Amino acid sequence: MMLWAEPILLKILKLKMIKQLFLLLTLLFLVQGCVAVKEYNKIYINDTDMQLASPGMERFETNFQIYRETAAGANGGKTGGGCGCN
Amino acid sequence: MVVKQEAVVGVINKVLLTFCLGFLFVAKAQVKDADSLLTYRKKVLETVEIDFLTSYYDQSGSHAAVTGGIGNEDLQDFSPTIVVRYPLNQDDVLTADIGISAYTSASSSNGNPFNKSGASGGGGYDDDDDDDDDDDDDNHGGSATFGGSPWVASTGASSEDILTSINFSYAHAAEDRNKYWSVNLGTSFEYDYESIGGGASYTKLWNEKNTELTFKGQVFLDKWKPIIPTEVHEYNLYGSNFQTNVKSYFYGVSVIDKEGISTGNYMPSKFKDFTSVNRNSYSGSISFSQILSNRLQFSVFLDYVIQEGLLSNPLQRVYFNDVENYYIGNKNAIANYTSSQNTSVFHLADDIERLPSQRIKTPLGLRVNYYINEVFVLRSYYRYYTDNWGVRSNTFQFELPIRFNMKWKLTPIYRFYDQTAVDYFAPYDQHNSSSSYYTSDYDLSAFSSNQLGASLTYTDIFSSLKVFDFGLKTVSLRFQNYKRSDGLSAFIITGGLSFVLD
Repeated sequence: MMLWAEPILLKILKLKMIKQLFLLLTLLFLVQGCVAVKEYNKIYINDTDMQLASPGMERFETNFQIYRETAAGANGGKTGGGCGCN
Repeated sequence: MVVKQEAVVGVINKVLLTFCLGFLFVAKAQVKDADSLLTYRKKVLETVEIDFLTSYYDQSGSHAAVTGGIGNEDLQDFSPTIVVRYPLNQDDVLTADIGISAYTSASSSNGNPFNKSGASGGGGYDDDDDDDDDDDDDNHGGSATFGGSPWVASTGASSEDILTSINFSYAHAAEDRNKYWSVNLGTSFEYDYESIGGGASYTKLWNEKNTELTFKGQVFLDKWKPIIPTEVHEYNLYGSNFQTNVKSYFYGVSVIDKEGISTGNYMPSKFKDFTSVNRNSYSGSISFSQILSNRLQFSVFLDYVIQEGLLSNPLQRVYFNDVENYYIGNKNAIANYTSSQNTSVFHLADDIERLPSQRIKTPLGLRVNYYINEVFVLRSYYRYYTDNWGVRSNTFQFELPIRFNMKWKLTPIYRFYDQTAVDYFAPYDQHNSSSSYYTSDYDLSAFSSNQLGASLTYTDIFSSLKVFDFGLKTVSLRFQNYKRSDGLSAFIITGGLSFVLD
């Protein structure tokens, strides 16, 4: 590939990513207007297994994965740092 | 007696509190209309909760990074942890999270692979723990049996270590429970690494608590106390005299080339001492959660992480394919060096791992949970990860909690993960010495992994079993089996007991 084209391509890619991110955020904010489940109808949603956070017991697995794998984060927990890990 | 008095006072306090809250509730109900949402404000956390968590992790593999991408990766880790959540009042909760992680590692032990067979048994990289960065009395005295192997665990100081971590967090909820904020501060330390970190988060709920947005920032200020491979350490101290200086660990030791001929040509001259030993991580996170129906909800997570400083591991060796190989030990074992049959010869490092001083990570995660019925719930998670070191990664995880009754629950769990390699990775002895950055750490190579396991949970909502003033609420046992496409395999067993104060 021609070297001079690389920065331009990177810019285009970044622009594409920003557009995708913007679209995602727009979609998310549109979704929130569609439904409103009342408090008295949240018996299933409030079930402990429906929690959107990782279970506390999962922390040790996340910890070894941070050492043994390169990817981390985007799970509401550790994103990197605080250990000599990846 | 005092305990009984305190218990009685506690009960009286609870009765008074309930009475007062009930009174307030009735009084307010009288002045508000029937549709008013302003009711009794439930505590964010009803009572003190204590979790005792313990895990045991066991790993085996044949791509040890400390010995340049080949060698014994056996590792065992035991991690007891205690988490205490203390309600300060109706709106505020203080959490203390204290744990240790005690591990033994065959790979780390081979920072100095020579001390199992050397006459002194001492360490080459200042294992004498006197903090003076020299090797007094550590030279082996020219033992004829001097040698090592990437396949055999050594007995040096780095073969085992304890990581201690202490974290505190304070969380506050607004009266209407539509706003939450929290701050946290923590530290962790082990033999060659220490960290201090802190962060804050803010959560806003709206749309009748159907929609939630959280912003989070976190900073870790970490510091290496670099331990480097013994041969590189001695070269750094004594230069070309590292075989002839009487204070050197390698004084009188015969270094041989690939033909087994004794030589004085070994020079890991690419090694340069560290200009910085700090590793700082800054992360910003946004998460968005939405209820889609009375059985379905999802959350999107986006992190942006910047890491700066010494991002490589100073203990990890690298070998160049365009540089002569030099060994210490049994010349007859050189032909079998990459086989686990080799127990008596060790390839001396050409340099240590070198990686760029900045890394930017951008993971994007999606979690979707669906309540199927009273027996089954489907929990799913996907993450796409990318960074500026060339890594692309996907993670899928599925959990299916199965409730047998009010007390017992079994959760099968499956996780798939894959990643491409970092731009600077090459296997053992395949790097080029002209490169600026290089690593043979297989954690940074291209691979996929499968993780299969299950969790068994017993819940007693009445906390009938008492230990002092605490009632046992939950007992959990979790087992996971992990297999990586490069041959690494591991399992982890986690146990947990959750108590609540009566």
